[in-house]
Amino acid sequence: MEIQVTNVTVNQRGQAQRDQRRIAGPVFIIGRGTQCQIHLPDPRVALSHARITVTDDGAVIEAEPGRIQINGQATQSARLAVGDRIEVGPYLLQVETAPEGVPLALAVTLVNPLEGTKSEGVNRVAPSENRISKRRLSYLGFGGMLLLTLIAPIAADLLGRVGPTTTFPVAPDAKHGAAVEMTQAVSAKFTESWNPGPLSQSHQPFAADCRACHQIPFKHARDQECVTCHKRIKEHVPAKELTGPQGQAFRETRCAECHRDHKGVGIAPRAQEQCADCHADVESVAANAHSEKVTDFRTDHPEFRLSLLDADKPKLVRRVRQGKQSAAQLVEHSNLKFDHKLHMDPEGVRDPEGKRDPSGVRDAQGRRTVLKCASCHEPDEGGRLMKPIVMEQHCQQCHSLAFEPQVTKRQAPHGSETEVATMLREFYARLVLGDVPPDVNPPPDLRRTRPGAVLTYQDRQAALQIANQKAKAVLYDLFEKRKVCSTCHTVKRTEDEAGWDVAPVRVAQVWMPQAIFTHAKHSTETCETCHDVKGSKESKDIAMPDIKKCRECHVGAKPVSGKVTSDCATCHKFHAGRDYWHAEMQAQMLAPPLSKGKK
Amino acid sequence: MQQNQSILSYKRGRYLKLALWFCALAIVVYIWHEPPVVYIKPYGGTWLGYTLGTIAAALIVWLMWLGIRKRRYASNLGSVQGWTSAHVYLGTSLIIIATLHSAFEFGWNIHTLAYALMITVIVSGFFGIYAYLRYPEMMTGNLAGETLESLLLKISDLDRKCRKLALDLPDEINTIVLKATRAHPRELAVGNSMRRQITAINADCPTRAACDALLRVGGKLNPEQARINGQLLSEMTRKSALTDRVRRDLRYRALMQIWLFFHVPLSFALLAALTAHIVSVFYYW
Repeated sequence: MEIQVTNVTVNQRGQAQRDQRRIAGPVFIIGRGTQCQIHLPDPRVALSHARITVTDDGAVIEAEPGRIQINGQATQSARLAVGDRIEVGPYLLQVETAPEGVPLALAVTLVNPLEGTKSEGVNRVAPSENRISKRRLSYLGFGGMLLLTLIAPIAADLLGRVGPTTTFPVAPDAKHGAAVEMTQAVSAKFTESWNPGPLSQSHQPFAADCRACHQIPFKHARDQECVTCHKRIKEHVPAKELTGPQGQAFRETRCAECHRDHKGVGIAPRAQEQCADCHADVESVAANAHSEKVTDFRTDHPEFRLSLLDADKPKLVRRVRQGKQSAAQLVEHSNLKFDHKLHMDPEGVRDPEGKRDPSGVRDAQGRRTVLKCASCHEPDEGGRLMKPIVMEQHCQQCHSLAFEPQVTKRQAPHGSETEVATMLREFYARLVLGDVPPDVNPPPDLRRTRPGAVLTYQDRQAALQIANQKAKAVLYDLFEKRKVCSTCHTVKRTEDEAGWDVAPVRVAQVWMPQAIFTHAKHSTETCETCHDVKGSKESKDIAMPDIKKCRECHVGAKPVSGKVTSDCATCHKFHAGRDYWHAEMQAQMLAPPLSKGKK
Repeated sequence: MQQNQSILSYKRGRYLKLALWFCALAIVVYIWHEPPVVYIKPYGGTWLGYTLGTIAAALIVWLMWLGIRKRRYASNLGSVQGWTSAHVYLGTSLIIIATLHSAFEFGWNIHTLAYALMITVIVSGFFGIYAYLRYPEMMTGNLAGETLESLLLKISDLDRKCRKLALDLPDEINTIVLKATRAHPRELAVGNSMRRQITAINADCPTRAACDALLRVGGKLNPEQARINGQLLSEMTRKSALTDRVRRDLRYRALMQIWLFFHVPLSFALLAALTAHIVSVFYYW
């Protein structure tokens, strides 16, 4: 069964042209697909838009809802009759009177040609893509970011090099114009944007001045810049004592290799492993080292070494390690006589200003004071060491230096023998010459000059002679008869003017100078926890605790429950050496500036 | 070779496995690695830090190279599909590698800026993967066999038809219809700005307004006019449905593109920040 399809087009002269074709059925698909029997090549037509089925009863058109309109009415299915106008997208299909033997004749006209509508439609959706291109944004992103994060900070740094560098502390009289200050503030911001992490607290004044430490671009921070401020920093070991390749490497270690800044507030490393690198076998780094092997306080630390003084040899410091074999050497030659046992008597010591002894039988005055450690040993202001014992402050209350108690309450000065002799001669000369102070009750055996007498030269000489003799007698009394001085000191008779010689006294203040010990941090403990003096009757006894005592509380770097974790740095200072850091460099830095006159 | 393979399952996730192994290795080494004690904690300047940093920087450059590789049609260096699959997985692994390189140290500086840019680029890439996996399907469903072009042409036809119908109706309606169908660039029914494309709602859509208006004025007309108005309303409603589909289509298209407007420029910004990061570290060594 064939139907007739007429394509109605308009030629260039505006005349209608009709192309007739016969198409075989019975089912005719209308659509833009080429397989469609009625092919309508237009994008506004669906691939398979509608279907005409021709039977003996006539032709029926069917389509999905909203696809076709027949005579202006949207429809899904309709029986076709001559004169029907079917709208299929932009096409108009008219049912014409069919010739003989043909069941259906359709005239197909493109009513709304595509041309002319196209631009209208496309314009509507053209987004503003052309205005923002990814390429342009990328250039902008790359360039802008490079400018802000790389070029500006480098420019700020290079410009900063032209001007004066920051000095610390900042000079208060540095005055600049507002423009300069603003430029500096902005460039500081750019510079700081490179800062990879917060500086240690003491370095924070330089946060905006990278060159304070980083002098040369693309070169490691040098030691020179460190010692510009840290002038007096000491080398761990003098350079000349370092030996071997490891020693050489140690010598060449830069400050910044251990002191890593930009890591928060701390900059001083506590690196026991680093210490153990050398101290496990210290001879490999310094062949002549005196220290023993040490890697950890708990497991591998030698006995403590005490620095002992000798009062008779002022330059000698004996360093003796604690331990049984050296017990004989562990004595202090201080030239002082002191009996801790006596002074620490729980019943107290005789004291003219002390409390009355309830039994009242121990001594004539019946007054006693119970001494505690703190009565004599006071911590210094820093809380680290003990203040030196001072005769006037700690001893004299009981150990009076009164030279003639019946005459005066005045006491001899606690100083050199000559000073005591001079003082006594002057005191008695004054009395002999008749000038008696109100607090003095002149001794009856002393021949005095009558007040108002006119003295000749001989009279005065005679008076001084009397005074000298008296003074000598009193000195003898002090030094030998009453043994006031020799209670504590070693006293010898000499032929010089003073007549007696008191041996010099040296008492150790710091027993372990290579270790940091802070009494204040140990104030939770009593003195007796570490220092046992109860049985000591002589001053040569040493009451320094040994390593066993410390280990009762302290362990090594590895934590142990209930103990204090302690690494090397807990007690030792790395920079506690003898030489300045890189001595030759330091020599220049510490040299006094040339005076202006000299050139 | 399988044609409809997603870039995610390319060669059965070859690059996923590679990236996972790589990240696992990096994490294990990071945990095992004990920085020299003087460093106090791990940071980008230990040997592991430098290694991870070098790997991350090389990865970034290689990931950006995809933009060049995909334009080199003559290149035989792997398929673009393979490159893209690797781009996705190795790019994601950067989160781990770069974070380990940073050793979790962040601050207000260009170093963290570079890190933040990198994370932003990666996250925008995640959206890109989501868009590429999800929207094409939704687009096909929305177009239902049509094309954007054909929809627009249909709208165009309806516009003309509506204008023609409105000629016989009172001025009030004619104005409404003219407004809704005039193809004036300033009154575009769809498209226009990126924001409008993505939100896909035009609160002041003239077609929708015309539909409402036509419904409102319907009662005041004489029977003939009412018939035409009814026809007009149905055409306008069809147009409204079409414009909604066009908007949805444009929305999907925009969503599939918009992320690249972040992904690409930000990765170039990242490249600059990365350069600054590397130079700054060695400038002040």
